[in-house]
Amino acid sequence: MKDLQRLRTSLKEEVELALNAQIKMEAEASSKYLAMASWCEVNGFLYSAKYFYKQSEEEREHMLKIFHYLADQGVMAYSPEVGAVPHEYPSFRSVFETALQSEINVTHSINRLVSLCRRVEDYATENFLQWFVKEQVEEEINARRALELFDVIGEEGIGRFTIDRNVYKITKLEVE
Amino acid sequence: MSLNVSLHELYRTSKGVTYQCDLTNRIVLNFADQVMAFRMADFVLFRRKAERVNLHEMIFNLDDEYDFEVLEAPKSDQKLVLTLCDLVQLRDLLAGTQFTLNLNSMLHEVLYTYSY
Ligand SMILES: [Fe+2]
Ligand SMILES: [Fe+2]
Repeated sequence: MKDLQRLRTSLKEEVELALNAQIKMEAEASSKYLAMASWCEVNGFLYSAKYFYKQSEEEREHMLKIFHYLADQGVMAYSPEVGAVPHEYPSFRSVFETALQSEINVTHSINRLVSLCRRVEDYATENFLQWFVKEQVEEEINARRALELFDVIGEEGIGRFTIDRNVYKITKLEVE
Repeated sequence: MSLNVSLHELYRTSKGVTYQCDLTNRIVLNFADQVMAFRMADFVLFRRKAERVNLHEMIFNLDDEYDFEVLEAPKSDQKLVLTLCDLVQLRDLLAGTQFTLNLNSMLHEVLYTYSY
């Protein structure tokens, strides 16, 4: 008797479902960043807006990365449903606090995925996920650095104006 | 290879039976006098579709449209029109089938079927 299950895919069903859940999470992250970009742009923080637009695009790329991985493994990737995301923030600073919290949530989620892969001995997917593990380290560093600017520059006077210009440099510096 | 050799029974309940056909790589479902054949990937989608139906809604919503659930088979014109009871029975059959498929997969792995 043939092993039709294995001929279809190497993925265990629980891994397949968990990766689909991660697709949704990345899509939601993309949507949240877009809302943050919108808030910043409307409130005059144009550099931060640019920073968040870029983050939003990156999150969509993360989503597609998993999407293609699933398709390559012969299973269906589901185009996720994304609900309404918050558009109101009490302050400029709180936007970045939300961003950091959201990245931390994603890091936890990726870690749980890696644990699952080890548990079911799916080393290929674990290997695939290592890219995300590394990416999350970067993402948290950037989000934390942005918040740090509020402390080292201060919000008084032209503080927020200066912070805004420096936020955009966070990712710029990294490229150099 | 004769046809009987290529057809393996996967799971049987009082309401239906499933087979695996090694000639066509299809899962054959015989339920409520209807016969359907699925590619493995489609079988999984069909099983999930059956699992997603909200039984609670079927029980408590008195609207006529909740008396029956229509499940369409992927890539064919066939569909199953199911009452609440049918649906529970179908789920049982599909879950049992999936169990046998998983078990077969595990056996292949531990018996090193792929190593020859
Ligand atoms: Fe991401
Ligand atoms: Fe991110």
